[in-house]
Amino acid sequence: MVLQFIKLEILKSIRSTSFARSLLVGVFLVFLGLLLMAYLLLLGLYLKPIVAEGLGQEDAVYFINSSLIFFFLLEIIYRYFIQKLPVLDLESFLHLPISKSRIIHFLLIRSFISPLTLIPFLLFGPFAFTEIAEIYGKTAAVAWILAVLFTSWSMHYGMLWFKQRFEDSLLGVFIIFLFFLLGAGSTYFGLYDLGSIFEPVFSFALENAMPPIFLLAVLICTYFLCFAYYRQNAYLEDLAEEENIRFVNKSFGFFSRFGLAGEFANLEWKLIIRHKKSRTFLMLCGFFLLYGLIFYANPGFQKAYGFSYLFIFVGSFITGIFMFQYGQLFLSWNSDSFDFFLSKKDGLESLVKGKYLLFMAISCVCFLLSVPYAYFGWEFLLIHLSTFLFNMGVTMHLVVYMALWKPKPMNLNKGGMFNYEGLGLAQFLMVIPMMTAPYAVFLPFAYFINDYAGLLALGITGLIGIFAFRLLSRYAIRTVRLKRFEISSAFRKES
Amino acid sequence: MIKIERLKKVYKEVKALDIEFLEIYKTQCFGLVGNNGAGKTTLFRILLDLVRTTEGRVLLEGEDVSKTENWKTRVGAYLDEHMLLSFLTPDEYFECLRIIYNLSQQDLFQHLEKFRDFFNDEILGKRKYIRDLSKGNLKKIGIAAALFGHPEIVLLDEPFENLDPSSQNRLKRFILQEKQNHNITFLISSHDLAHVTDICDRIVLLEKGKIIKDLVEKDRMVLELNEYFES
Repeated sequence: MVLQFIKLEILKSIRSTSFARSLLVGVFLVFLGLLLMAYLLLLGLYLKPIVAEGLGQEDAVYFINSSLIFFFLLEIIYRYFIQKLPVLDLESFLHLPISKSRIIHFLLIRSFISPLTLIPFLLFGPFAFTEIAEIYGKTAAVAWILAVLFTSWSMHYGMLWFKQRFEDSLLGVFIIFLFFLLGAGSTYFGLYDLGSIFEPVFSFALENAMPPIFLLAVLICTYFLCFAYYRQNAYLEDLAEEENIRFVNKSFGFFSRFGLAGEFANLEWKLIIRHKKSRTFLMLCGFFLLYGLIFYANPGFQKAYGFSYLFIFVGSFITGIFMFQYGQLFLSWNSDSFDFFLSKKDGLESLVKGKYLLFMAISCVCFLLSVPYAYFGWEFLLIHLSTFLFNMGVTMHLVVYMALWKPKPMNLNKGGMFNYEGLGLAQFLMVIPMMTAPYAVFLPFAYFINDYAGLLALGITGLIGIFAFRLLSRYAIRTVRLKRFEISSAFRKES
Repeated sequence: MIKIERLKKVYKEVKALDIEFLEIYKTQCFGLVGNNGAGKTTLFRILLDLVRTTEGRVLLEGEDVSKTENWKTRVGAYLDEHMLLSFLTPDEYFECLRIIYNLSQQDLFQHLEKFRDFFNDEILGKRKYIRDLSKGNLKKIGIAAALFGHPEIVLLDEPFENLDPSSQNRLKRFILQEKQNHNITFLISSHDLAHVTDICDRIVLLEKGKIIKDLVEKDRMVLELNEYFES
């Protein structure tokens, strides 16, 4: 039976629409994953020299032990965002004569097979078997790495339970935020030192078998906590997500000035707010607003005269991230209801225009929200203004043209993080013009005159693009109209 | 065989089901009718323990369905396409069921043989995933799956919907035949009054979660149902 489950699981993943349709993307992602893991392993191998020489810590083991807690805090956060709940296909099995416990055990164990499980091992394994084994002996090394792994794996099941229990509730987000504060408070404000509070646990593991045994017990407890919760809630009604859409019935009143296109922009806004994947994209937008903090306040990027050219890139990202992210799947968002737009008079034209309108509105909001960056210097305001104009006038059209190449259908209700459904080669290649276009305009002027002339050139090109909007958008509309049969048949998955 | 006691199901503030007592007897062909939202599918889901009851319980030969799972080998059901595994081909799906139900290849062959006409050569031996099949063909696969492993009770939600007229007739004959030969108890919900009154020995009419008619006499059935649905 277990074998049968495993077989089904494999079949499911290789036959999923996104996989079968874009093998190339799959291969690329696997490659990317392996590359990341290789980097982690490399980091693990050089952990000792990095700590000893890079950070000037004499007692590497002590330092690692007192830093582990921060790694685990980080782990909680990335698990919260990345880890998926394994509940999706429960409903195909619930009515069959297989006990619920068995299905849940399988799902839980299956969820364990993930690159996330390996991360702590890659990162700390080499350190344990070289550095710790050398100083404290092999047994100590094994006990220590087990303690680390058990902690991480307890988090795996803890997070599965947590996400199912508090998913989409404000409390869940609040608790995660609290973890953030916990870590930040300790490092930035020096109120308390989390590191030294938890250091003894892992140092103790070097001398005694108690910590790993205790942590194993914790792991088993979290597993069964998770199991009990999932077992109890193995009902259809709990699987279906309850959406609370009362608060999202607001629409942008001002869109209605733009006729049918404005109506469709409003529709699109509702689509964004009411689906999981698009909501994640919108949230990402908020995160990227903070992106500038990494660069602008960083003395490494300060220059005596002018500013680092990297800032152009940062600026276009901050003001245009939504457009890049959402726009690359331009029509795929409507894959469920494309025929609806096809069957309306002026439907396609208004759909495309409505999307443009929405991109502009959201980019505008992003730009306004980024104004406080002027605190770091007035040049940032100028950078944002010129990249914003350029995004509106030029990049937006580039994104849309590229996205129209080969739109793919996708399911909007799956989570947005690490969900590559709907992405094809075109969407990956799209990054290149998006990143190079602003530099193609900026660099010549910045090089021959000065940085601010480059900004001016960006802004003016953008403005020209905005004035030529009608002309530029006509191309996109024409493409959609020409390819409408092809697109709608791709969305109906007739191939 | 099936006993429903003081069953209540409440969604938020809406009462979806409220059944004081209902007993369904062995080998009875039990029909369930009612307008949209009457609670037909919810009742089936509760019978299968797919949805929690708010109050009351369902007993299947004395066993509370939410407490044990042994009854699952004796009950077959097809309510909607989520019960299928859409990423398999029909053949693979039946093979998977064969393993779950512990049947031999011979059993599987015999079982599918019964559906040969019903499948109309559109299902077996085709290289097509279930998710790419038409709604009618999904229904056919689901019905064949519900009858897997010699169940004593079979629940079918709207079995005639999406089927072509000749398949509907074949299905009707098939249900009567199975009931006759294997003493299967069928629970069928349908909007098609002609079909249910044809095959069912008893029809219960639901309205807003309550039983408002419980009909056993064949000739009264048609009359009373028509009267209700026309008003």
